[in-house]
Amino acid sequence: MIDQKHIRNFCIIAHIDHGKSTLADRILEMTETVQQRDMKTQLLDDMELERERGITIKLNAVQLSYHAKNGEEYLFNLIDTPGHVDFSYEVSRSLAACEGAVLVVDSTQGVQAQTLANTYLALDNNLEIIPVINKVDMNNAQPDHTKQEIEDIIGLDCSMAPLISARSGLNVDQVLEQIVENIPCPSGDPDAPLQALVFDSFYDPYRGVIALVRIREGSLKVGDHIRFMETGAEYEVLEAGIRNPKEVRLNELMCGDVGWFAASIKDIHDVLVGDTVTNVDHPADAPLEGYRKMNPMVYCGLYPSDAAKYQDLHDALDKLQLNDASLQYEPETSQALGFGFRCGFLGLLHMDVIQERLEREYNLDLIATAPSVIYHVYLSDGTMLEIDNPAKMPDASRIKRIEEPYVRASIMVPDEYIGAVMELCQNKRGIYKDMQILDTGRNSIIYEMPLSQIIFDFFDRLKSCSKGYASLDYELIGYREEDLIRMDILLNGEPVDALSIIVHRSDAYYRGSAITSRLKELLPRQQFEIPVQAAVGGKVIARTNIKALRKNVLAKCYGGDISRKKKLLEKQKEGKKRMKAVGSVVIPQEAFMAVLSMDDDKH
Amino acid sequence: MYHKETVEQWLSAIRKEMEHACIPDTLETIYIGGGTPTALEAEQLDDLLFLIDPYAKHVQEYTIEINPETLDATKAAVLRIHGINRASIGFQSSDHNLLSLMGRNHTMETMHTCMHLLRRVGITNISLDLMYSLPGQSMAQLQQSLFDALSLKPTHMSLYSLTIEENTVFKKKGYEHLDEDSEADMYEWIVETLHAKGYHQYEVSNFALDGYWSRHNIGYWQYDDFIGIGAGASGKENGSRYDHVRSVQAYIKDPCNRQLIPLSMEDQMFESLMMGIRMKEGMDLAVFEKRFGESFEHHYGTVLAGMLEQGYMEIVDGRLRASEKGYEIMNSLLVEFL
Repeated sequence: MIDQKHIRNFCIIAHIDHGKSTLADRILEMTETVQQRDMKTQLLDDMELERERGITIKLNAVQLSYHAKNGEEYLFNLIDTPGHVDFSYEVSRSLAACEGAVLVVDSTQGVQAQTLANTYLALDNNLEIIPVINKVDMNNAQPDHTKQEIEDIIGLDCSMAPLISARSGLNVDQVLEQIVENIPCPSGDPDAPLQALVFDSFYDPYRGVIALVRIREGSLKVGDHIRFMETGAEYEVLEAGIRNPKEVRLNELMCGDVGWFAASIKDIHDVLVGDTVTNVDHPADAPLEGYRKMNPMVYCGLYPSDAAKYQDLHDALDKLQLNDASLQYEPETSQALGFGFRCGFLGLLHMDVIQERLEREYNLDLIATAPSVIYHVYLSDGTMLEIDNPAKMPDASRIKRIEEPYVRASIMVPDEYIGAVMELCQNKRGIYKDMQILDTGRNSIIYEMPLSQIIFDFFDRLKSCSKGYASLDYELIGYREEDLIRMDILLNGEPVDALSIIVHRSDAYYRGSAITSRLKELLPRQQFEIPVQAAVGGKVIARTNIKALRKNVLAKCYGGDISRKKKLLEKQKEGKKRMKAVGSVVIPQEAFMAVLSMDDDKH
Repeated sequence: MYHKETVEQWLSAIRKEMEHACIPDTLETIYIGGGTPTALEAEQLDDLLFLIDPYAKHVQEYTIEINPETLDATKAAVLRIHGINRASIGFQSSDHNLLSLMGRNHTMETMHTCMHLLRRVGITNISLDLMYSLPGQSMAQLQQSLFDALSLKPTHMSLYSLTIEENTVFKKKGYEHLDEDSEADMYEWIVETLHAKGYHQYEVSNFALDGYWSRHNIGYWQYDDFIGIGAGASGKENGSRYDHVRSVQAYIKDPCNRQLIPLSMEDQMFESLMMGIRMKEGMDLAVFEKRFGESFEHHYGTVLAGMLEQGYMEIVDGRLRASEKGYEIMNSLLVEFL
């Protein structure tokens, strides 16, 4: 049995694409946890979606054994973390289960916005940080420069930082040695009452909820009666173990271990990520400090295309929430779309990922409305409403003022793109705050801007106006009063609630005309002419018409054409099924995102 | 034109299939299609028609498709000897550039010669096929082609708007479909112009002088049974449809091999509407009820009521037809019945 002193719990943190998952793979390989022939590239990213997009979304923990140069055997628990700004919540969950972090910085790119953000999170959690300089075998690598940058910007000593290539494995052994030497072993009393932090969970159709835990105090054995301290739910542990990365069953999880257990938990609501597990017969006095609950920043409506799939969508959301506590949802009804859910996300990528997982893993066909932030609406009678759905905005006559969330955006950008990035920020109603020259050729620009502007298309535009070199991090700084109004979109004279948006008064005209002309492209011609209007407070500010369908008939249809022509009609019918009928107008799915359209020329 | 040996093999395949097909000798109409049967040598054409003779004793309308570039006096005489009394010519367009886009090379002179050859042997019931909404085609170009076609004084005309489908030459060359409005403008102009010249529209794409409707094609639109012989041909009998392989080589190997597509009652009801509504005069509701043992109104109650109420369809003299405003967009209407 391995002594607690020989356990190392750590995670790897990095800006997106700096090589975090590749390093994890190399470590797995070099500790011979995984035979090379079993390696799929990027082993820790086991969600199909993750591997496709090359990003890590869900954390994943594996146990490895390492024979150190001092001749002793060590047990490593490696916890992977996501790199994208949307998932800083997940990062903080990983960090809470560790004593140390390996900070990977790409020597061809240097310190990026999320290198900073993730490092600060790790420092907040009192983790020991080991800086590692990656991709040193690339032609354009600047390892010395990168080290200097880390020392200057973050203030970490880099004199011992390993210069590695995660791809080829060069000097990765130095990383392993530093983990042994620099990361402290877990503290905790093996004889104390059990305190295990639930840092993740997922649903297995055969075994119920599987909880991933870090044992802080005491130990957890198969057969133990345990209690989730927050929910009060009690179960008997049926199975426990670790992953390497395959599941390995053990009889006991020891103090300092990172592992999983199953207890035939069928009600997913019993297990909250961040909760503390204790022993019923020998309970702890108090739970561990949980996580800061992350509040969603972006909301959208999700509706099943087929109304009969409402319950399926509900079940799927329940299951996704199990290992994604940041996902929030509650039922809502739209005149246009029927029954669905208003869902809250950490950011746009998070929203995208959830939608794709629902469609892919749960086989649902969804209609998503355009994302919205939460507005604070102060009414004349002194009350304040939190509005996350533009359709719910009260009548203008009742409103005293509206506040919207602002963020402080820090953007790192090379000299040659500063102009373009600043222009973009100005166009997005950004308020310039500060600029720091980090070192030769690189700058950090600080803007304050409405979150609503960031969630539209800011990230894509930032990448394109800087040829991919700019990086972004942002944090919520509070609410500010703005001259905001609700804009309704009317099809055939009827307002479509799912198409309403909240806009700044100064933007209303061009947004209105951009949206109506986009809808004109997206809506199929129908048997009658359809006026498309954008209106503010009952006044139409933009209008276009979709002309009536004029010709939709098969030219040639003789005896030999019947099968083929009928198939064509069946295809048209299928296409129509995937649209929503609002009154007499049918609307294709993509039209509900049309309210995001911007007219570039007017920008 | 074709490889002699292949034609011999093909003819014997046709013979074999016809022997197996139990064709009655009471056929009223026969149609030899496929675009270019006249590409056969006169002798080969004679051999083919000879195979059909036993079934053509009572035929009233006997049509053959003709590519104007391949007809000569001998072939015209062969056609006449075997009783062919109607010709359908692929005129397509009189614009040289558009024709070569379709791989055709004939001129107005070729057309005049072709018409003359046919009329000289007594085949005077002649239909011309025209294509419109061709890539890059202007209204003026269409008008020229139509007037050129009219100058040939056909008895019947079929006008097809081009649909650019996958795996066609147009698609591969990267041509795009003409926009919906231009196509509709052309179509409406065609209907109006032909009407003024005495060619009345009796089906979506078909126009004829009085008394010259195609009896054979009307059979399709009335959803009658029909027999199909040869590579790529289809037929329908006893509630099933069948298709032959398209490849001539595969057909020669196994001429009696046809793929059977069983049709449910629902399939047949829908198809009879899909075909019937193409006729300007619509579909006979009494025939529908007799055929399926259920009235159309009963089977399609709600949808039909909506169509009638919104004025897309109408019932006149026991026939259901698309109204003026529904006729051009009948696909959108049909989809509702699926």
